[in-house]
Amino acid sequence: MKKKVLATLLSVTMIASVLAGCGGGSDAPAADGDAAATTDDGAAAPADDGAADDGAADAGEEAPADDAAAEEEIPTSTFGDPNGTHMEMWTFVELHGQHYGNMVEKWNEQNPDRTIEITCTTYPYADMHTKLLTSLTAGTGAPDICDVEIGQFPNVIEGLDTWLVPQDDMAAPYLDTMVQARMDVYSGSDGHYYGIPYHVGATVMYYNMAVLEEAGITQEEVDAVVTWDDYQALGEKYLAAIGNPEGKYWTSVDTAGCDWLWISMAEHGEDWTGGFGGTANVQLDSVKKMLTMQQNWVNSGLAQVSPDGHVDLEAGFQNILDHNIVSFPKAMWYMSRFTNYMPEEKGNWYIAKCPVFEAGQKCSVGIGGTGTVVTQQAVDKDLASEFLCWAKMSEEGEQLIWDNLGFDVCNTVLWNDDAFAHDDNNQYNQFFRNYPYDVLYSIKDDIGTIYTVRISPTINEQMCNVTLNDVLENGVSVDEALQAAQDVVDLEQ
Amino acid sequence: MSKFKKFFYSQKAAPYVFVLPFILSFALFWIYPLCSTITMSFQDIKPAGTEWVGFANFVKLTKDTVFHTAILNSFEYMILTLVLLIPFPMLFAVLMDSRLVKAKGFWKACLYVPALTSVVISGTLFRLMFSEYQTGQMNVITAALGLGTFKWLKMKATGLAALLIVACWRWTGVNMLYFISGLKAIDTALYESADIDGATAWQKFRYVTIPLLKPTTIYVLTISVYAGLAMFMEAYMLWAGPDSPNNIGLTIVGYLYKRGITKNQLGYGSAVGIVLLVIALAINIVQLVLNGTFKKEED
Amino acid sequence: MASTSSVNGKDTMGMKTKRTVLSIIATAFFAVLSFIIVFPLVAGLIASFRPGTELIRRGLSVDFDFSSMTLANYKYLFGNNVDGQKYFMWYKNSLILTAISVVGTLFICYIVAYGLTMYNYKLKNFLFFLVIATMMVPFEILILPLYKEMISFKLIDTMAGVVLPGLCGASTIFFFRQYMTGLPKELLDAGRIDGATEYGICFKIMLPITKPAFAAMSILCAMGAWNNVLWPMLVFRSAEKFTLPIGLNTLLTPYGNNYDVLIAGSMFGIIPVFIVFLCFQRYFIEGMTAGAVKG
Repeated sequence: MKKKVLATLLSVTMIASVLAGCGGGSDAPAADGDAAATTDDGAAAPADDGAADDGAADAGEEAPADDAAAEEEIPTSTFGDPNGTHMEMWTFVELHGQHYGNMVEKWNEQNPDRTIEITCTTYPYADMHTKLLTSLTAGTGAPDICDVEIGQFPNVIEGLDTWLVPQDDMAAPYLDTMVQARMDVYSGSDGHYYGIPYHVGATVMYYNMAVLEEAGITQEEVDAVVTWDDYQALGEKYLAAIGNPEGKYWTSVDTAGCDWLWISMAEHGEDWTGGFGGTANVQLDSVKKMLTMQQNWVNSGLAQVSPDGHVDLEAGFQNILDHNIVSFPKAMWYMSRFTNYMPEEKGNWYIAKCPVFEAGQKCSVGIGGTGTVVTQQAVDKDLASEFLCWAKMSEEGEQLIWDNLGFDVCNTVLWNDDAFAHDDNNQYNQFFRNYPYDVLYSIKDDIGTIYTVRISPTINEQMCNVTLNDVLENGVSVDEALQAAQDVVDLEQ
Repeated sequence: MSKFKKFFYSQKAAPYVFVLPFILSFALFWIYPLCSTITMSFQDIKPAGTEWVGFANFVKLTKDTVFHTAILNSFEYMILTLVLLIPFPMLFAVLMDSRLVKAKGFWKACLYVPALTSVVISGTLFRLMFSEYQTGQMNVITAALGLGTFKWLKMKATGLAALLIVACWRWTGVNMLYFISGLKAIDTALYESADIDGATAWQKFRYVTIPLLKPTTIYVLTISVYAGLAMFMEAYMLWAGPDSPNNIGLTIVGYLYKRGITKNQLGYGSAVGIVLLVIALAINIVQLVLNGTFKKEED
Repeated sequence: MASTSSVNGKDTMGMKTKRTVLSIIATAFFAVLSFIIVFPLVAGLIASFRPGTELIRRGLSVDFDFSSMTLANYKYLFGNNVDGQKYFMWYKNSLILTAISVVGTLFICYIVAYGLTMYNYKLKNFLFFLVIATMMVPFEILILPLYKEMISFKLIDTMAGVVLPGLCGASTIFFFRQYMTGLPKELLDAGRIDGATEYGICFKIMLPITKPAFAAMSILCAMGAWNNVLWPMLVFRSAEKFTLPIGLNTLLTPYGNNYDVLIAGSMFGIIPVFIVFLCFQRYFIEGMTAGAVKG
């Protein structure tokens, strides 16, 4: 009987190897062409993919040199010069890794005496941050360079220069063109910059112009919206024009995301975290105003509560596709959701600035983002920092970030660079009715900042789990809900 | 040498040889991490340095209302899963083991598939099914039944129902298999003699199956108590993370994950873990002693 | 067998019809139950034949509109491209890891449980208490110390580092122990009288009659190993060692999900395992009912 058990297990292993064989058995070098053709042409613009995959395939062939176990057909993500300084890079978005792959090739061309080889490993989102924190805490095992999502940044920045390498010196050449607010977001309580941003994440208003035109609303009317009162009036006009049907709304408000509140805080120049060393206070006027306004909208039927909590989810996409809502504020990076998940909406949407409470206020805020850090465990900290800053902040780097990742880059000089901003081959320029960068340029000086500090995750969690649900779903009064939130936040500070 | 051999083969040494792997594994992989965790629960661990804070973490836990919600949720879930996931799988197993059912292998495989389905995909599928949007499967069903649509994952009652549905989906088949293998250990002669005595099906179940299935039942009970209290994956799947509206899906391990892992508060997280360990161990030791599992069988 | 009736000479035509009816009801019951259980996966399977944008558009709809179904996702998955290659690399790693863990865990847990059940000695109850105790420790709190330990043992990025800490699965030991307490101990003495050694009795006499427990536990361990994400992720450092759940998880990001590969890949992940299970359980459970346990 024992033999039979063994036989069965062997057969399982055999199935394993057969499966593996049919998957990776064929010739690897052919991979690059296919991949470029078939890669999900969403967040990845097809244009530069070929280059990335060439790199991947090359690396794949060279892999056996440093790892005897690696077979030839294994697709690794090692890029660059195998004789150069080797660096490990972790990310949770594969395309980010490819960005460094592309940049490392360019770097090696320009710096033949200081070449780099970089291995980019894509981990699952939550687990990558767990792994990073574990290895930073343990003092060993961390990568040289690592992407850190902004929500997780406070945990990592906690370690300041015992964990991370300050980027001030290497970032200096680029600072005059960068959006200062985005550098500040990734700075530590000691005032040093630790993370290098990909994008601004400027919040703008998305309008479904095609549907609005059917209801007799023109683009001029949308452009004329300055304040939230104007916005509300236009919404009422829209709903009246289509006869107030059930299930149709002007916008949707979020119970699982704080974007609206961030906009309001930025407009009023407030910040509930209190910044570094400050005291967190969620009972701000701006927060109250926004919540009160939203609660009224929900009650009057102007707005619905976003299905499943916010618009950046499957149900949210469906809601937009079904034209149940026709406008909503979201960061610029939401553009890639349109191209990825809502391709049929091409040509319908118009991007405009967000309304404000009082004319003259700032009208945008940077939301979301990923800061890339160099850890103290890096082999060559200076080289890693220099490469990182160059890869993310130089014009060459920014060009690739926009083309491949679809982010609103932090280099303001490019925003009104005609070749850059009005490139008609760019899929986002094609998708929307206007050029996204025109909107961005027009709000250049109106982008506020909300800091992400130690208390931020607590505030965010309390808002998304309890407060917003209470106010928008359960009809709890704004003051009461905010008081409850403040109590929870106070317990943590 | 032969002396050693003799000792090795003796009835005295044999049990220690058998349990040696456990002792080794315990010494290597449990003692240090466990002690280290216990130490951490009395510390505040920061990158800059570690500070001894005594019972401060535990004192904070007594005031932490979110933690209390988590404990309450976990207990509620544990008790309900005990009610759902012990008797029913046991009945299914008995039925499955009878000669009445045809194509057993296929049904068993079907019931077992959820356990092999990667959590990534089952999470995505269930999240879509319980979506509050009208295309969510559960809403399609309730709407067809004339019940209207629900915001499943936003309300306490429906949220708990969703959790239990996922739990039953994942574990019914697994628990059933435990019972089936337990049934195989029952001597068929007992049923035959019961038949001769003219026992009804119910009597056979009540007086032969249930008592003789006791070791298996105790096993399922023990792991269910712990699994119920330590539930995390099901909630993580449904809400795509440890956060849920009004914390309706927050469990002890979910809280531990949030504190210890997401927020990197290792000291506080360890304290949460120790509390869970103590609660689960206490319940199970009491339960096992009452069931006589620690009794020395002197036959 | 816990069957409801057996041959005792009273079988009449009436009994037979009753049996048939009962049999149909019982079988139908499991058919319905299986359908409910498999339903979400069927929905997923259907979704896997449509582009990811369709999933967004319609939700998880169970309509068999063949016109919108294509094999594109699967073609892509099996195609000669980076994603396809990676997918099968993950798949292979998962299968190997699962096979090794299952064989190792079953063997070790069986002998430990044997040692905890078949003898009476001083430390027995204490050891059993330790087994129960280790079962109650939430793994999440052990991560950091265990990770440090793996680094000092030089087991980071190795298969051994992933498998070793889990080999002595407390719940598996516990299950074997519970199972064996129900078995007749007279067999041991009979074996000793026949001149078998302690180890001979363990492997030649007891092992064959413990097979149903092996069946249940192989399934349980396979499930644990197959679905394990957190620990393998911490131990493995090189992408070419990643397992299927880790890989599939990387397709879900805050920057958007790759539904095309995710759904098709997950569905294909189930099918072979389903088939293997179908064979396994047949072999294990059905094949040995005859004459396995006769006290």
